[in-house]
Amino acid sequence: MEVEAISQHTSRSFNKDLAGIHNLVLNMGGLVEDQFERAVKAIAEADSELGLGVAESDRQVNEMEMRIDEECRRILATRAPAAGDLRLIVAAMKTITDLERIGDETEKIGKLASRLATVKRPSTNFRELRNLAQHVKGMIRDALDAFARLDVQQGLAVMKADKVVDEEYEAIARQSLTFMLEDPRTITREMDVSWAARALERIGDHTKNICEHAIYMAHGTDIRHTSLKSVESEVRQAGSMKESSP
Amino acid sequence: MLPNRWVSHFAYAGAWLALALVAGIWLGNLAWWLVGALALYLIVTLRNLYYLDRALEKGAPVPSDTRGLWAELFSIVVRLRSKSRHRKKRYRRLLRAVRQSTRALHDGGIILNAQNEIQWCNRAAVRLLGLNLATDVGHRIDNLIRNPDFVSHLENPGGNTVSIPSPAVEGGQLSVQIIPYGRNQRLAIIRDVTREVRLERTRRDFVANASHELRSPLTVIGGYLDAMAHDLDLNGDWRTPIAEMERQVSRMTRILRDLIELTRLESSHGEAPHDFIDVVGMLKFIEREFVSSPLTPRISVHFGSDLALLGSEAEVHSIFHNLVSNAVRFTPPDGSVDVCWERNENGAAFSVRDTGIGIPEELIPRVTERFFRVDPGRSRELGGTGLGLAIVKHALQRHGASLSIRSEAGEGSLFTCQFPDTRLVARGGPARAVG
Repeated sequence: MEVEAISQHTSRSFNKDLAGIHNLVLNMGGLVEDQFERAVKAIAEADSELGLGVAESDRQVNEMEMRIDEECRRILATRAPAAGDLRLIVAAMKTITDLERIGDETEKIGKLASRLATVKRPSTNFRELRNLAQHVKGMIRDALDAFARLDVQQGLAVMKADKVVDEEYEAIARQSLTFMLEDPRTITREMDVSWAARALERIGDHTKNICEHAIYMAHGTDIRHTSLKSVESEVRQAGSMKESSP
Repeated sequence: MLPNRWVSHFAYAGAWLALALVAGIWLGNLAWWLVGALALYLIVTLRNLYYLDRALEKGAPVPSDTRGLWAELFSIVVRLRSKSRHRKKRYRRLLRAVRQSTRALHDGGIILNAQNEIQWCNRAAVRLLGLNLATDVGHRIDNLIRNPDFVSHLENPGGNTVSIPSPAVEGGQLSVQIIPYGRNQRLAIIRDVTREVRLERTRRDFVANASHELRSPLTVIGGYLDAMAHDLDLNGDWRTPIAEMERQVSRMTRILRDLIELTRLESSHGEAPHDFIDVVGMLKFIEREFVSSPLTPRISVHFGSDLALLGSEAEVHSIFHNLVSNAVRFTPPDGSVDVCWERNENGAAFSVRDTGIGIPEELIPRVTERFFRVDPGRSRELGGTGLGLAIVKHALQRHGASLSIRSEAGEGSLFTCQFPDTRLVARGGPARAVG
C-alpha cells in the first residue's frame, strides 16, 4: 500500500487491515455513485421502474455500512491504532455515515423520480434538476477520488463547488414556487421537484463532509466549522511543515 | 584444465622466480633476491587488482600497459562492458518503440499487480478513465474506478468483458476486459464503446418507433376489412380477396407485436424481476389453448415437478407459448408434442419434444436469429413471424436460463430451457401428472 497516511507496520496483517478499510469505504462509495447515477437517469428518462429499483440497492449500501463499521471497531479493539492509522479509522467511520446518508437521499430521489415519471412533464424535462444532479454527481466522484488519493487540493475544490449547489437549489426552489403560483395544478409536481432538489442539496453537503474527512485523514487537521479561506491557509501551512520535516 | 592464459602466467611467474634464484646463487644473498622478486610480483598484482576493481565498479578506463593474464582479463572486462552497453541500447530502443506503439493505441491498457495496484497505464487509459499517471501508480484501481460491476469483475474476471460508464467522459461507455498473465500480473484492456452503444440504441429505437407507427394504420385497415367481410351487400367476387387481406393484416399485426416485444426485451436492462409464477397452472392454460384448435397434433403435458418460477410472468408465458406453438406448427396432425417440466441437478428444465419436420444440423445455431427461417415459404404459410425463437432467447437470458436445441431433419426436435436454482421456488402441494 503506497498511501502515505497508512504508515508501514512490522505487522503485515495490520497493514492489510488498514488498506482493506480504505478499500471497503471506496467500494461502498462506488455503490452509492452507481445508485445515484441510476436515480438521476430515472428522472431524465421518466423511468419509474428504474426509480423504484434504486431503493432496492440502498439495502446493499446499508449492509456495507454495518460491515465496515464492524471492521473498524474490530481494528480499534484489537490493534489500538495511533496517529495516522487512528485518523484513517476515524475518517472511515465518519465517511461511511455520510455515504449512507447520501444513499438515503438518493433513495428519496429515486422514489420522487418514479412519481414524476407519471405526471405531465414540463417542456424542459426538468433541465435545472438534471443540471444540478450532474453537478452533484461530479462532486461525489471528485470527493471519493480525493479520499482515494488523499488529494487535499481536490478535496478543497469539491468544498468550493458546494457553493454552486446551494445557489442552484435556491434557484430551483424559487422557480418551483413561481410555477405553483401561476398554475395550482402543478403544485404536486413542483413539490416533488423541490423535494428532489432539496435531496440533491443535502447530498452536496454530505459530499463536502467526506472531503473534510479526507483532508483530516491526510493532514490531521480538523477543518470542520471553519471558513474555507482559513482552511486553505492552514492546509498550506501543514503542507510546508510536512515538507520541511524530514 | 586451466585456460591458456593461466598456464602462460604460471610460466612467466616461474621464469621470474628462476631468474631471482639464478641471480641469488650467482651474486649471493639468495633470500633477499627471492623476497625482492616476490615483492615486485605482489606490487604488480595489487596494482592491477586495484585497476580491475575500479573498472568493474565505476567503469573506469582499463590500463593499457599490462601484458599476459592481466591484459586478457582487462580485455574481457572491456568486451563485457560494450556488450552490456549494446544490450542496454537495444532494450531502450525496444522500450521506446513499445511505449510509442501503446501510446498510439486507441484502447486503454493498465498493468495491475496481484493487489490490483496500478503498475503502468498508457495514455488512452488516462484519457478514458481520468487517471493520473504521476500520482496514481501504486494506488488500487478499484479505489479509483469504483463502479460496482467493475469491482466485482475485477474480483473474478471470466473471459467476458464488463461495460461501465466512463468516469472521465460524460455519457461515455467503456468495455473492460481483465486478462491475467505472468505471475499474478493482470492486464486491463479498456475500449471506448460509446459509438457502438449509441448506434445500437438508435437501431433499437428505430425498430421500436417504426413498429409503433405501423400499428395504428394497420388497425384502421383491419377494422374496415372486418366491416367489409361482414357486409352482406358485398359482391361475392370480393369475398376471397377480403378474407386473404384479413389474414395478411393479422399476420402483419403479429409480426409487429413480436417486434415490439423483442425490442422491449432488448432494451430492458439487467435481470428479469422475481415475481412468483405458477408454472403448472400456466402450462395447463397453454395446453388448453392448443388442444382446442383443430388440426393440431396430440399434445401431452407431463409434470415431473411442481416447482414454481421466479421471473417475469409475461416473458415466461411468451417463452412457453412460443416453443409450444412452434412445435405444434411444424408437426403434422398425426404426430405428437410432449411438453415436460421437471427438476434436475442444475435446477429445472422446461422441454418441448415434437415429431415434426426437424431442423438440419448446420442450421441449428442460426434458428434464434431474427427472421431466420429454416423453410421460409412453409413457415410463413403456417403463420410464423420468424421472431419467436429470438424472443425466447432474449427472455431466457433475462432469467439466467439457457436454451439448448437438439434436432434431426425429418425426425423431430427437442427444445430445452434450463432454469437455474436461484429462480425456483416450491409451489406447495403434491406433484401431479397430467396427460
